[in-house]
Amino acid sequence: MRPNLPPFQERAGAALRDKTLKLAIDRTTGTAERNRAVAVAAWPEFQSARDLGRDIRAHVVNNIDHYLVEFERNAVASGAAVHWAATADEACQIVVEICRKAGAKSVTRSKSMLGEEIGLPHALEAAKIERVETDLAEHIIQLAGDPPSHIVWPALHKTREQVKELFAASHRDPGAMEDVEAMVQAARRELRAKFMAADVGISGANFLVADTGSVCTVTNEGNAELTTTPPRVHIVTAGIEKLVPSTAHAMALLRLLVRSATGAELTQYTTFHTGPKRPGDRDGPDEFHIVLVDNGRTKMLGDGLAEMLRCIRCGACLNHCVVYRHIGGHAYGGTYPGPMGSVLTPSLDGLPASRDLAHACTLNGSCQEVCPVKIPLPTLLRGWRDRSWREGLEPRSVRRALWAWKFVATRPALYRAVSAFAVLGMQLFAKRGWIESMPLAGGWTAHRGLPAPASSTFMQQYQARKRAAK
Amino acid sequence: MRPQIGFAALALLEQAGCTVEVPAVQTCCGQPAANAGDAGGARRIARQVITAFEGFDYVVAPSGSCAATIKVQYPELFAREPAMHASAMALAGKTHELLSFLWDIRHWQPQGVALAASAAYHDSCSGLRELGIQAQPRRMLGKVDGLELRPLEGSTVCCGFGGTFCVKYPAISNAIADDKARAIEATGAEILLGGDLGCLMNMAGKLHRRGAATRSFHAAEVLAGMADGPAIGETA
Amino acid sequence: MSRERILAAARAALGRTAPPDAAAIRAEAATLLAGPDRGRPPRTGTLTERFIERLTHPKVGGTVEQVAMLTDLPRAVRAYLSTNALPARIAVQPEPRLQALDWSGIATHDGVATDEILAVALADCGIAESGSLVFHSAPTSPTLFSFLPLHHIVALDTSKLLEWLEDYATAYTAAGQAQPRNVNIITGASGTTDIEGRLVRGAHGPGFLHVVLFGG
Repeated sequence: MRPNLPPFQERAGAALRDKTLKLAIDRTTGTAERNRAVAVAAWPEFQSARDLGRDIRAHVVNNIDHYLVEFERNAVASGAAVHWAATADEACQIVVEICRKAGAKSVTRSKSMLGEEIGLPHALEAAKIERVETDLAEHIIQLAGDPPSHIVWPALHKTREQVKELFAASHRDPGAMEDVEAMVQAARRELRAKFMAADVGISGANFLVADTGSVCTVTNEGNAELTTTPPRVHIVTAGIEKLVPSTAHAMALLRLLVRSATGAELTQYTTFHTGPKRPGDRDGPDEFHIVLVDNGRTKMLGDGLAEMLRCIRCGACLNHCVVYRHIGGHAYGGTYPGPMGSVLTPSLDGLPASRDLAHACTLNGSCQEVCPVKIPLPTLLRGWRDRSWREGLEPRSVRRALWAWKFVATRPALYRAVSAFAVLGMQLFAKRGWIESMPLAGGWTAHRGLPAPASSTFMQQYQARKRAAK
Repeated sequence: MRPQIGFAALALLEQAGCTVEVPAVQTCCGQPAANAGDAGGARRIARQVITAFEGFDYVVAPSGSCAATIKVQYPELFAREPAMHASAMALAGKTHELLSFLWDIRHWQPQGVALAASAAYHDSCSGLRELGIQAQPRRMLGKVDGLELRPLEGSTVCCGFGGTFCVKYPAISNAIADDKARAIEATGAEILLGGDLGCLMNMAGKLHRRGAATRSFHAAEVLAGMADGPAIGETA
Repeated sequence: MSRERILAAARAALGRTAPPDAAAIRAEAATLLAGPDRGRPPRTGTLTERFIERLTHPKVGGTVEQVAMLTDLPRAVRAYLSTNALPARIAVQPEPRLQALDWSGIATHDGVATDEILAVALADCGIAESGSLVFHSAPTSPTLFSFLPLHHIVALDTSKLLEWLEDYATAYTAAGQAQPRNVNIITGASGTTDIEGRLVRGAHGPGFLHVVLFGG
């Protein structure tokens, strides 16, 4: 979780009051949802592709020790240096140390959620190394000083009007920016020289291919290749779960990843990076470093969250989540928002600080329905609710209310009596069929009318009818 | 809350050739405990439910979320207790949500039922995604004379109820319900139909607060010819 | 240190009592992909038709023309320059087959500048399923040729068209084959959806991709 955050309800409340935010979220998630629906409708084999995606990812997770060693062996054979980091801090230290050794003044970065997770932007700043975010969305939020609010569209919370203001205030040559096309051109002009001047380029990885030792990145802008090719040093930071057995397995997953994320068949640029510059190459990095980051992943594996390690970070669960679509990414407080984030954040940042995330979900199941690797997200969220209950993290008010309810619900005669009494009591607050406010029902009646119940329960009426029939 | 839904279910099941009993020992399926993370509490109630319904051929609930709790959650709750798991699986196998039971198992169709109205149908999430209920209610409602079903934009999007979610996170729930109410109003339909009272109360309550004239009924009330009286939240 | 810690934690979490059986794991991984066309998208028409259909789809945004032979490429490039009113000064990939062509009337150079207007390249192969072009980095094929120019004209031999993404993987990355430093699979012109989710062309890479198919 980001430091010094107000409680979840306050964060969510502030997001709900921000009408510009709602507009921004609707524009991007709405487009993504429609485009995905079209792509899926044109793919009769989508469900069997999901089964395959789940099977490939589950196979990797179940054999992650084997694939890590195989990947390392092949990457090293290609000339890469492979580093292992158990924690976020260790990963940042490794990256900063490589940058220092390379005498780096300026570093370009191609969007990587793992980099955000381990706090790499802050680590580079602390080391006084200039950090240039090259993904358009990351560029926008770097200018705004915001954290990402979506795993595929980090600047999803910004409207085009807000982006225009940011560029106008900070670009050397922003131009008139009469439309989105012109804003994109402004960023292209702004970043071009920085790509070529960087000492180190840092990227993430969409897949780590075990049998070739290759790192696969996907982008639509081409910024990954412009980040990783000109500088002398290329550093990859990757979560250890990103492995796939072979390039062919990566291809099967790419089909699912891209359609689920944007509705396209494939990203414009899908690149497999294998080792540093070869003899005779006119471009490419002299050094190629891969930092394999655990940061809690092996703990998730042993903690009943193995299914979550299948995640390929497409963002479809965010786009289809009613809660995300109303509160946006920042209210979640962690690196990863939405349903996948609500499963990951308690593991990454601790349950006490994030217990609300598992509860702030209607369990409607849309996220699981769209997940390309069939992660049972609602079940995993229920798992966190169970754990929060067992660990005594639930508020006393909730525990008391549930205790009283259970006391009644496990005593059928009492349950019938209490129900009959409750419906009578509720009558006292009803006016023309509706209860507009009532003690203990403020959560409901603050925003909607409560239909007054009938004056007797179904059970009372049913038994009366049975008696009358005899 | 609305006994008429229970009586509509009784009438429909009898029309579909069933002998219906309502065991007095039943209380609740235990969903509030299961969703709160209180697995122990949920198991206590589940045991009670499993016992209460042991002697019956079918268990039918006029709610997708109650039926899904029994069909999907119970077996998971007893995953580590083989004997109870077998009992939970047996109950899960014979438990059905009312509308899908009528159509899929009893092959029942409304005959001579009429309601002159335009309606929007909301697919409640548990029924839709855990039990596959989508076509059945529409097929049956399509055979009600005079009833015009209008397409509801985002009919499969959650209404923001989510059980205790709606009172634990009222502001988020309200924002979601507000979108749903707007979509319902945009259809211009006179009535809103659905298969889960919780969702219906949420949507009806939001529509009422917004001043909309839309009236809300459980689909079973329409199918049983009982939608001629007060709608949810209306007085006689 | 961390290497052993991570591997030990993974093994403990997986409940391993013996080292993983590499042969069995390889066999299981191969079985996953063994089903005929498992989970693949539908296909219609010939291989070339499918490639062209995908490449020119609005989501991909490429343009295409077909010529008889590679020697027809300079003529196609001249026409492109003239149609788009571009200066007759271009970068040509330092690939012997391209360098050997008759570029008369155009000033060519074999390096690519940061603000290059147009570069001409030869793809190693194409993938019909997605309308993609594949480039392998090499001394004769610098990676930046595909990323720095504003206009990217790519020659592709139709006999180098493959059906599926997996076919590329099988043909070029099977065990024992040396991997190029970079494999760039390029599917259309550069684009971004980062502002409000709407696709806009020409983000950082080329804004225009034109494919000249030859042979076949």
